[in-house]
Amino acid sequence: MLLVLPSLALAVAVIGYPFYEIVRLSVSNVSRFGQVRGYVGAANFARAFEDPNFVAALLRTLEWTVAVVGGTVLLSVLVALILRLDFHGRGLARTIVMLPWAISLSMAAIVWLWSFDGDHGMVNITLQRLGIISGNIQWMARPETAFPVEIGVGILVSIPFCVTILLGGLASIPGDIYEAASIDGATRMQAFRFMTLPLLRPFINIAIVLNVIYVFNSFPIIWVMTKGGPDNSTHILVTYLYEQAFGLGRPGLAAAVSLVMLAIVFVFTMIYIRMQSREQAA
Amino acid sequence: MSARTRKLRRTFWCWLALAPLVVLVLFPFAVMISTGLKPIDEVLAWPPTWLPTRIAWNNFPDMWAAADFGTALFNSVFISVVATALAIAVAVPAAYAMSRLVLPGKGLYRQFLLVTQMLSPVLLVLGLFRMAASVPWGDGTLVDTRAGVIIVYGAFNIAFAVWMLASYFTTIPRDLEEAAWIDGCTRTGAVLRIFLPVAVPAISVTAIVTFVSAWNEFTVALTMLRDPAKLTLTLRVVNLVAGRYSVQWNQVMLAALLATLPVAVVFAALQRYLVQGLTLGAVK
Repeated sequence: MLLVLPSLALAVAVIGYPFYEIVRLSVSNVSRFGQVRGYVGAANFARAFEDPNFVAALLRTLEWTVAVVGGTVLLSVLVALILRLDFHGRGLARTIVMLPWAISLSMAAIVWLWSFDGDHGMVNITLQRLGIISGNIQWMARPETAFPVEIGVGILVSIPFCVTILLGGLASIPGDIYEAASIDGATRMQAFRFMTLPLLRPFINIAIVLNVIYVFNSFPIIWVMTKGGPDNSTHILVTYLYEQAFGLGRPGLAAAVSLVMLAIVFVFTMIYIRMQSREQAA
Repeated sequence: MSARTRKLRRTFWCWLALAPLVVLVLFPFAVMISTGLKPIDEVLAWPPTWLPTRIAWNNFPDMWAAADFGTALFNSVFISVVATALAIAVAVPAAYAMSRLVLPGKGLYRQFLLVTQMLSPVLLVLGLFRMAASVPWGDGTLVDTRAGVIIVYGAFNIAFAVWMLASYFTTIPRDLEEAAWIDGCTRTGAVLRIFLPVAVPAISVTAIVTFVSAWNEFTVALTMLRDPAKLTLTLRVVNLVAGRYSVQWNQVMLAALLATLPVAVVFAALQRYLVQGLTLGAVK
C-alpha cells in the first residue's frame, strides 16, 4: 500500500483538486480576476450554449474529430499493411513513418504555418511547380483553407500512434491462416476482406476510440496556427475554452465548457475500458 | 519469377505507395533546414528556393540572442529532467506493487490510472492554474515557477509510467527474487540488489518517453510561465512568432530545428524499444 501511495497522492492532488475547482467555478459567478462571487446554478452553461461561437466550436469539434480520426485510421490501415510486408529498407520506412511522434505538436504547427505562408511559403511554390495551383494562396488567412490545412497536420501527426497499434494487431494474426486460405483458393482481396479486416477489427476500434480522445483534446495545432481565427472560423472546443479562460477573462464560462468536455472524454474512456475488458475476455 | 526479383518488385511498390507520406513527414525538416540556413533577404524572396545561395552562419548567434536560447534550453532540460525524476520516483514502487503484490483495490487503481491518462491537461488547465495560484512558494505562488510546471508534468506522466513499467515488470521472472530470499536476502534487499538492476532498461525507456513528452509540452507551459527567464524552448520558439509584426523566420526555423532534432534523433534510434512499450498500455 505504501508503495502505491505517493503516486496516488500526487495524481489525486494534481488532477483531483483542479477538477474540484472547475466544478466549483462552473456553477459560480466568477469575476475576470477569478474571484468567486456566489452560486449561479447552470447560468454559465446556459451562457455557453447561447454563444453562437460556442455552438459553432462544438460543431467544428465534431467535424475536426471525425475528419482527423477518420483520415488517420484510413491511412494508418494502409500504412500498417504495407509495413507488414517484407521489403528492402522496411526498418528505415518504419522510422520515417514514426518520426512525427518525436516532434512537439507546437513545433510541427510552427513549421507548417511557415510552409503554408501565403507570400514566401514552400507549399505554394511546390504546388505551382507541380502545376496544381496557378497563383499564391493565402492558406491561413482564409477560413475555407485554414481549417482543412489544420486537419491535414492533425492527421499527419496522429498517424504514428495509430500505425503502432495496428502493427501490434497485425502481428497477432498467425501467418498460417493465409497459407490455408490460399490453398483453399482464396484471392488476396478475399483474404483481406474476410480474414485480415475482421481480425484487425478490435484493434481498429481501439485505435479509433483512443484517437477520438486525443484529437478531441488537441490544442497546440490550432492554437499555434490560427488561434481560432480568422474571425473565429477555426475554433474547436479546446481553443474556445482557452480563449474564454485566459484571453477574454470568463473563467466561469470556461469552467462550464471544461466540464462539458470532461463528460464527453469520460464517456469515450468508458467505451474504451469496456472494449479492453472484452478484448481480455476473448 | 525468383524470390529475389519478387522482393525487389515488392520493394518498389511499397516505397512508391509510402512515398507521399514520406515526403510529408520529411517536408518540415527540409523546410527547417532550408529556411534556417538562409539570410533573411532570401527567406523573403519570391519565388523561394530550397537551396540558399550562401549559408547564413550568423543566423546561429542572432537566433541564440533573439530567443535567449541558452536560458530556454536550460529551462527545458531542467524542467524535463526533474519532472521525469519525479514521475519515475513515484511510479517505480507503484508499478512494482501492481506487478508483484496482491493489493485490495488494484483493479480500481488501474482504472483510475486509465482515466487520468485520458485527461489532457488542457481540460483542467483552468483548475491547474488556480491550484498553482493557491500554493505558496518562495515569495509568491507556484504560478510562473518552474516548480509548478514540474509538478504538473510529473503528475500527468504517472499513469503512463506506472502502466508501462508494470507491463515490463511482469515479464521479469519472480524466481530471481525468490532465489535471493532463499539465500537469506530480505525482501527489500532482493528488490534493491536483484530486481532493480534487471529493471534498469525498462526504467530507462519509460524515463526517455516521459522526458520527451515533458520536453515537447506546450499548453501547461503556456499557461503557467510568464517570466521570459523561465520559458521553455517550445514556448520560446512559439513566442518568436506569436503576436509579432515582422517575424525572422530563418531564426524561428533554426530554433525549431535545434529544439526538435536532438529529441527526434534519440527517438529514431530507440524507436523499436519505445514503440513496443508505448502500445503496451493501449492494447494490453
